[in-house]
Amino acid sequence: MMVTVKINGKEYSKDVEPRTLLATFIRDDIGLTGTHIGCDTTNCGACTVLMDGRAVKSCTVLAAQADGHELETIENEADKELSMVKESFIEENGLQCGFCTPGMIMTSLYMLRKNKNPSEDYIKNSLAGNLCRCTGYVSIINSIKNANEKINGKKAVVK
Amino acid sequence: MTYLDRFANGKGRYLDDIKLDNMLYMSLVRSPYARAKIKSVEGGMTSRDLKAYYAVVEGDHREPVLAIDEVNYQGQAVAAVFGKNRYEAEDLLSTVNVDYEPLEAIHSIDDAKKKAPIYADRKDNILSTEDVGVKFNESDIDYDIKVTDTILLDRVSANPMETRGIVADYRDGILNVYLPSQSIVRSKSGIVKSLGLPPEKVRVFLIDNGGAFGVKALFYPEYIIACYASMKYGKPVKWQETRTEHLQACHAGRGVEGTLTLYAKKDGTVTGLDGEVLLDNGPYLVDAAAVDLGNVIHEVTGPYHIEKAHLTGKYVLTNKAPNGYYRGAGKPEASILMERMMDLLADKLNMDIADIRLKNALETPFKSPLGLEMRYPTKPFLEDALKYFNYRELSKKEHVGISLFILDEDTAPGESARIIVKDGKVHTYLGGNVSGQGHEMFVKSILSDELDIEQDSISLELQDTETLSTGVGTWGSKSAMTHGSVLMQAAEELKKQIEEKYGKYSPEILLSHDFDQTSFYKFDYNDNQVNFNIVTSRINEMGDFEELKIGAYYDLGKVLNMANVLGQTEGGALQAIGEVLSETLRYSEEGQLMTTSITDSGVLTADHTPEFDIKIVENPSVMKDRAKGLGESPMIGIPEGLARSLETQIHKRINTMPITREFLFDSL
Repeated sequence: MMVTVKINGKEYSKDVEPRTLLATFIRDDIGLTGTHIGCDTTNCGACTVLMDGRAVKSCTVLAAQADGHELETIENEADKELSMVKESFIEENGLQCGFCTPGMIMTSLYMLRKNKNPSEDYIKNSLAGNLCRCTGYVSIINSIKNANEKINGKKAVVK
Repeated sequence: MTYLDRFANGKGRYLDDIKLDNMLYMSLVRSPYARAKIKSVEGGMTSRDLKAYYAVVEGDHREPVLAIDEVNYQGQAVAAVFGKNRYEAEDLLSTVNVDYEPLEAIHSIDDAKKKAPIYADRKDNILSTEDVGVKFNESDIDYDIKVTDTILLDRVSANPMETRGIVADYRDGILNVYLPSQSIVRSKSGIVKSLGLPPEKVRVFLIDNGGAFGVKALFYPEYIIACYASMKYGKPVKWQETRTEHLQACHAGRGVEGTLTLYAKKDGTVTGLDGEVLLDNGPYLVDAAAVDLGNVIHEVTGPYHIEKAHLTGKYVLTNKAPNGYYRGAGKPEASILMERMMDLLADKLNMDIADIRLKNALETPFKSPLGLEMRYPTKPFLEDALKYFNYRELSKKEHVGISLFILDEDTAPGESARIIVKDGKVHTYLGGNVSGQGHEMFVKSILSDELDIEQDSISLELQDTETLSTGVGTWGSKSAMTHGSVLMQAAEELKKQIEEKYGKYSPEILLSHDFDQTSFYKFDYNDNQVNFNIVTSRINEMGDFEELKIGAYYDLGKVLNMANVLGQTEGGALQAIGEVLSETLRYSEEGQLMTTSITDSGVLTADHTPEFDIKIVENPSVMKDRAKGLGESPMIGIPEGLARSLETQIHKRINTMPITREFLFDSL
């Protein structure tokens, strides 16, 4: 079946099997390999992308369900706020092996757009769907606080 | 572009990102039973096509890469199928028919003691036994009290966010292998041995590694099957493990049960230690087991002066995936066992937990009867750490657990590095491999200092076994120690090369010519160091944490990069907390894995992040770069500290990890 989606502002049409997962579509059919797959049970969040602005786990969405929709992935260079989140992760060393990072960054972007003044507890709880095995999350939480200052202009997040 | 830039922009190149023309995807038919006879297999690639073994160690009961006549754990590979994409490969699994005759399986160490041997050539379910120290009679030692306990540290899955995987690409007579590995040199020797290939026909490429924690230092059946299939079909073959496969079939860590007896005088002086340590080995002889159990039984006395000690280690056969490395590989087990026993002894003698440690800590270097050569005194360090955390005051107000431990770094036999200078750029290759710890940062700072050049002109590259044919690996908390040292040595040798040719060294000469320098930093023994953790916590009536604070007093010799130090400590701490609270693999009586997802396996989420008080002290090591190790320390010191802190709140001895929610709840 034909699936047409806009990814990072560019339109793609591909003929895929109906069972194709969105994660497979993005990675294998389109070739954007920044979106990762870390589990088969929708727990780890490494595959998180934005669909029409909302964070979704692309391993649990069919490519067919994304037909006609707009996606944003880690590769997007045109989104200034996404760039700010990336800068913050770099400044705060918010990653080690980097495998969970794209999903963490996309979740963070969604979180900071939704809540312009997140508390530390809000940040921690909003990361419940994204697993990291390297950092113990401390530097990731610091990265999100830093990104919040950049995007929402708020000073230090209170607990 | 640094690794931080690459990874934050989704530009990492991980195993599953590799796409080659005509590539086949491999899927495995795996045993649904923990133990069974295979009456017949139809379809797929089986042991009729490929009869090989992957363990480097020689001996009985090695695991064939594809099962022969029997399976001994759920998830054992029986047949392989190959499709043009992963969906087709998984579809093809249904074309293989296997007729099994299920047999009674062993699901735990305890079960192994009770049930009939799984192998006809054994009289019990013990694969082998190892004794360390000198057996003594109770009448030979001076003691007033003895305490005994059995402590179980259950199995834990390493669960790197990127699972295992391989791409094998046989072309023009060369087997090219792409692998996220902690040692491509070791991986290459495994492939060469298992398939009987000439070394010059195998080339292994390191790629970005999405987390390792020990499991990517090991060698597995799937790697050999993929290599063989690529050679057989003349096409590239990819295998990327699913998380379900990882939980079922990846070699698992911990799984250690120790029954220890401490003999002590009334004043708390420990005069003797005896006991037995059992390893949940799985059904096959694997390389990791001897390291894992060896580390436990050799290191139990840790930072203490115990004159008489003896331990028996037993490799216990179970019908579960084989034993493998997990961050620490026996070192955490040794420390957790000892520190839990120290707390028990303190309680029996009505002594403070710090005082009993002070009583037994080392005032001079000490060679333990179990073999560990502790190179530094531990008592002054403990005194400093207790003072730093204001322990005497803190312990009056809070629920405190502490641990004094040694970290024995795997510094022997050293490490290699290569520096290629070309077109004004300095390209660096490390003999041990990067597995997501951010080596790039200290590589740049060390070479920038040593060669007096800008960091921007230095890069850390991913090597292969041709660009750097020698090397050891990244593990055992020694990566920064040996890599930092070999880089300093290589820089010196490079400067000498330039001085000999040009009469003097200058950064301009370096960057305007081509140079090639390969060095090996030789270090003959494993160095060690002393560390301390303190844990305070407060749980509410539901067993939830109201407060959890991890204090670390670690000696890092010389800090090469503080961001990396904090990252390793915080990341290790959360794994350690998980090991106490939730992380394990649970099996049914039939040996069926009941843990069905990464969440089930207990990996903690961001809301479990504790508070930290990390104090780094720097007593320079004997290494060239003065650094000491870190990676395994949080795993070694934190679990027992947290166990103690909880124990004082629930008033019930904690001798099993992980504890369950019910255990906590029922105790409150």
